[in-house]
Order: sequence, then C-alpha cells, then structure tokens
Amino acid sequence: MLLRALILAAVLWTIAAPGLRAATFDELAAQAAAARRANHIPEAIELYRQGVQLRASWMEGWWFLGTLSYATYQYSGCESAFDAFVKLDDKRALAWSLLGLCEFETGKYDPALDHLRQGLALGKDLPPEVEAGVRFHYGLLLSRAGFFDQGKRELERYARGGAHEPMLIEGLGLNALHQPLLPKEAPAERVDAVMQAGTAARFWILGENDKAEAGFQELLRDYPAVAGGHYLYGTYLSYARPEDAMAEFRRELELNPANADAGAMLALLLVYANDLPGALPYARKAAAERPAYALTEYVYGKVLLAMGDLRPAIARLETAERLDPAALEYHMALAGAYSWAGRHEDARRERRLSMDMATGAKRPELNAQSARGGAPPPETIDKTIKQ
Amino acid sequence: MTDGCPGTRQPWLVTAVWVALAGVAQAAPPRPAKVTCATCHRAEAQSQPGTAMGIGMELPANQEALQAHPKLTVEENGYHYNLERKNGAGTYTVSDASGALSLPIKYALGVHNLTFVLEYQGSFYESMVTYYQKIEGLGITMGDERIRPHNLTEAMGRKVSDQEIMACFNCHGTGGVSQGKLTLDSLRPGLTCDHCHTGADAHMQALAGGKPAPVPRKLGEMAAEEMSNFCGQCHRTWESVVGLRLFGEKNVRFQPYRLANSQCFLGDDKRIRCTACHNPHVDLVREDASYDRACLACHSATQKTCPVADKNCVSCHMPKVLAAETPALFTDHQIRVVHAGDPYPQ
Repeated sequence: MLLRALILAAVLWTIAAPGLRAATFDELAAQAAAARRANHIPEAIELYRQGVQLRASWMEGWWFLGTLSYATYQYSGCESAFDAFVKLDDKRALAWSLLGLCEFETGKYDPALDHLRQGLALGKDLPPEVEAGVRFHYGLLLSRAGFFDQGKRELERYARGGAHEPMLIEGLGLNALHQPLLPKEAPAERVDAVMQAGTAARFWILGENDKAEAGFQELLRDYPAVAGGHYLYGTYLSYARPEDAMAEFRRELELNPANADAGAMLALLLVYANDLPGALPYARKAAAERPAYALTEYVYGKVLLAMGDLRPAIARLETAERLDPAALEYHMALAGAYSWAGRHEDARRERRLSMDMATGAKRPELNAQSARGGAPPPETIDKTIKQ
Repeated sequence: MTDGCPGTRQPWLVTAVWVALAGVAQAAPPRPAKVTCATCHRAEAQSQPGTAMGIGMELPANQEALQAHPKLTVEENGYHYNLERKNGAGTYTVSDASGALSLPIKYALGVHNLTFVLEYQGSFYESMVTYYQKIEGLGITMGDERIRPHNLTEAMGRKVSDQEIMACFNCHGTGGVSQGKLTLDSLRPGLTCDHCHTGADAHMQALAGGKPAPVPRKLGEMAAEEMSNFCGQCHRTWESVVGLRLFGEKNVRFQPYRLANSQCFLGDDKRIRCTACHNPHVDLVREDASYDRACLACHSATQKTCPVADKNCVSCHMPKVLAAETPALFTDHQIRVVHAGDPYPQ
C-alpha cells in the first residue's frame, strides 16, 4: 500500500501539472479541466471520457482519463486510456509505465511485462518513486515469467532502498525459490516457506550474511523438501564454500530432478573446480531441459569453452547474452570466447561493454525478445510444500 | 616441461612392450629405481624449485626476511605492529593503549614481499601489515589500504573466508587443499610440477610401475587467451578482476587482466601469451633488453617500428607502477604507448 501511495502521489502531481495541457478548445474539455482542478474526480473522468469519444486524437483527454482512473483504482479504464495514449505518443515513459501497472492490476501479465520494460527503457525522466514502483512490479513479473536472475536484480534494487513490506518479502521469496508466481498467486500452504525464504534473501541482499545463513538453515529445517530451497542455499554458499554448495545442488536435484537451475549451477562450480567431465552432463541436461534460458545457455557455453569447443560455446554464450543483456558475466565470458577464437574486434567490443557495465557507465536492459518464454516447465514447480 | 623421455621417441611404446614382455617372461624389464619428473625433465625440475612460484611461501623454519630483520615495527592506523623472530619462530604482535595481541607466524606467503597468514580463535586472518622488500620494512597489506580497524582483532588482520584461504594456500603451496578442504598437515611451500601439469604425478607413477603413462596436456599448445585464463587461476583472470571491480592502480599486479587490455593482445596468438616472455621454470628475468625478442616477434623491421628506440621496449611501453598505496612496484602488463601525465588506464 505504501508503494501504491508513493506512485499515486507522483501521478497526482502529473494530473495537476500543466505540462500536458495541450490546447482543447471545446466546452467539454474546459469543463473537464475545471472539474479536475476542483478535485471533482468522478465528474472529470466522465467529462474526459465523453471528450475522447468525440475526438479520439485528444491526447490530453486520454492522459487525464488514465491518470484519474489510476488514482481512483479504476484499472480497466486506466488501462484502455493509456493504451490509446501510447498509440498517439509512444515516447512517454510514464504513460507506458502506468499502462503496465494497470495491466498488472487487471491480470494481463504478459503485456504488463512488456509495457513496464518499455517504460523503463524510456524512463530516464521517471520520478524516482514511480521508477521504484515500476521496477518492483517489473521484478515480480520477470520472476513470474521465469526470468529469476533478471527479476532478482530489480527486486534487489528495491530492497536495498530499505523497503521491507510483506509483498516485497513474498516476492523475494518466490524469486529466491524460483517459483514463477506472483505473491497473490502463491498457494496459502506455501506462504510461510516463501516468507522465510524471502526474509533470508533480504538479509543476503543487505549483506547481513549471518542472519541470511541462519534463515536459510531454518527454512530447510522447517521445510526440508521445499522446491528450490536447497538450490537457494547452494547459491548462497557458491562463492565462499563451493564444496558445500555443490552438495546443496545435488540435494536439490535429488528432490527435484528437473530443476535445471540447480543442474546448471552444479555444472558451473564443477567447471571452476576444473572437473570438465563432471560438469558436461549436468550442463548439457540443464540446457536441454530449459532451452532458450540465459543461465543454462551460459553454463553450457562455459563448459564448452573450457573444453576448447569454441564455435558451439560462442553460440551458447551469445544466446545467453541476448536473453539477459544486463548480466555482466555473460558479456565477460563472451569476450573471452571471442578472444580465444581470434575474433578480436568482437572481443574488444565485449570487453569495453563489460568494463562500462562494471563501472556503472552502462546498464543494458532486458530487451523485448528476451522477455518472453522464460517460464520453467510445470514439473519444476512444486505442487505442495512437503513437511 | 616436454613430454617423452630424452632418447625415446615414443616412451609409451617402450612401456607397453615392457608390460607385454612381463606377461611371457620371468624376468621383469629394467626400471629406474625411483622415477621423478627430473628423471626425464632434468633442467626444468632442477631450476623450477628456486623460482618465485617454486618457493611460494615460507614456513617458520625458513623465513628469511624475518631472519635478516629479527625485529620489524611500524605504526599504522593508530596501532603498533611488532614482528619479532626468536629461537627460530616468528611472532606477530599488534598493540594499542587497550592492550596487545600476539600470534605465532606460521605462514609467510610470497617471496620478495611477505604477507602473513595468522590463526586466531579458529579462523584465518590475512595480516594487516606486510613485509616489503623495497623498503625492507612493514607496510599495509595490498588491498587493505581502505580498512580502518576498530579494535585489536581488526587491526591484527582481515578475516578471510574458507574459499579465500584455500585459494591462498592453493596458489602459494602444494598439498594444502584437497577436495575442497584445507589439509595443512600435508602443506609444502611452493608449486610443484603437478600443479600446472595436471596428471604429471600419475604419469610419473605409471612410468615407475612400468605401465603405459598418460601424458599430461602440453601447455605449449595454448594461445594467449587460454593461457591467460590458465595462469590467471592464481594471477587473476580478466573476468575475475572485472567481476570483482578491482579497478585502479591496485590491479597492476594482476598481469593477465592488464595484458588482455593491451591493444596488441590477440587471444589466438601465441606470441603474446604469458610464456612468450616468461619461462615459468626459471626465475624472473629482470633485464629489459631480454624481452625485446618477444616484442620483435610481431614488431619486426617489416612492421611498424618504434620512432624512439630500437631496444629495451618494456622500459617505456610497460612502465613500473606502485600498486595503489603500497611500496610494491609492479610492471604494468598493459602494453601501450605511454605519454607523460597520462592517467593510469584502469
């Protein structure tokens, strides 16, 4: 609710702002503007609705019809207003963002994902509180679509800002457990495990590692067979204790053999341990089970690269980069692969981009092509929480 | 190291014949009493242990810098550091007005500059101060310049994770890590053949047992990118430096990263790989002119040549840089045309 209030405050500011008051000269438009300024919202909405029926090219009418509808929780009306608006002017980040937020509320999740992405892509001028809200919803939708790594980055940004409301914790938990669901879609019997996972994940994001580790262990004590639980803990352990992490990934695969993420991460750690024969079957299986998925493509590419199989390695790494252009690791791996293969200009380009990303000079966004088809197969989603 | 024994073009064939004969004859084939790497690779095996990589670290009985300087002191961040060597053992002490903390120096990692690994309350710490050869004294350890300790424990050193300490012992010694766990009882200083030539021990044991010996991979097959990643397992890869955002002059000590940023770095070319300049079986050569042949392998008379000089290329194109705020001087491996006043390319 706090998040919505912040977005609303920003939207109301735009309602009162004169910037979009393009000239409309008929009596209806004047009445609508007067009603809006007098804060007679239902009356203003009705007058703007009549106005755009008379003149479908009236941008100001669509704009205020959309913002006033959003402010009064009339998401369907808001959605159709901004849908019409962006057909007239597709360069306004706030219009795309509000369209996406309305679609989120009306359950049109796939277009919401696209439109929030569009808003963020244009959105250098988004008010900070709106951008935070857009990124939060975008992160939830990315997770729901199975783009967990990308979703995690967006949710992390929001969590680092100090947010800790239950919807964020639940969203973090679903993301951390790789459950492609929105908080409101999570079955009641899963919520406790999801909240535990989200709480621990938030501590991890904030760098409070002792609390995070205790939280992960508590989650696995209370829900030892929760889908994604051992994967989550393994991911946490990957840097500091890779041997323990590999044991967690193996445990996850015992419980959920189709968890391609766990297979991919296990393969990655085996590559780092120079165990290429051990890594290859896990990487190959993960890529087969989740094709066109950034993590599995990346890991299979890394394994092939370590084996010196350059051409297929580059193809896999290029796919991973296309699917998740904001992941620094994919660009770096691709730079190395190009270099090894003698594609010097490509290598230099990727190295420059990697450096720019690492220093914060550039931040490639998820593109439209990548934001589709990422959901894991249904068998990887646990049906019940096993006690 | 080369594969195959001197005088035998196909050692595996000889061994296979031995094994075949053993099955039909009473007398076993003649074998060396004890096979080591030096049996076949004498020159490399003799010189490598004396190199920096062959030494890697110093254990208490052999800590030469502390023997030469039995008492070293320095003040840093409001704390007093005192390293003393008595009766063949070193002690690392940090103190302030509140008291003192003394720990035995078990492991001194490095060769010319020594950083100490300390054990305290069941954890490992990287010492906050390092012995630097250039000043023959102590200074803040590279990478720890920004740490501002709040108590004696923090002033003593930086607590390191299991993974980090394993990486330390794995790159500075042999036998200290096994199957992802520390095995310090079997730790030996320095890197032995099998560290780089994976499978060398099995190769040697098979030969000693008169069995067909799988030959370790020839590292000489590697071109620049692959070798940079190989050596970068200890010297840091380009990916690891960028991934950890180790930017600024502190990254001058990560040679594979710096080299890969050079305009002349071609990943598929052997002429710019690590071993094009450095023979890992002998100690580092410090005469600038000795590296000219590597530069001239590409920049020959028919190629673009330097308008300033025709020798000692590295003296200009690979300047010496102090690693951040420490007295450690490194050769910058980002090969380039350096102009006076240019900022350090990160």
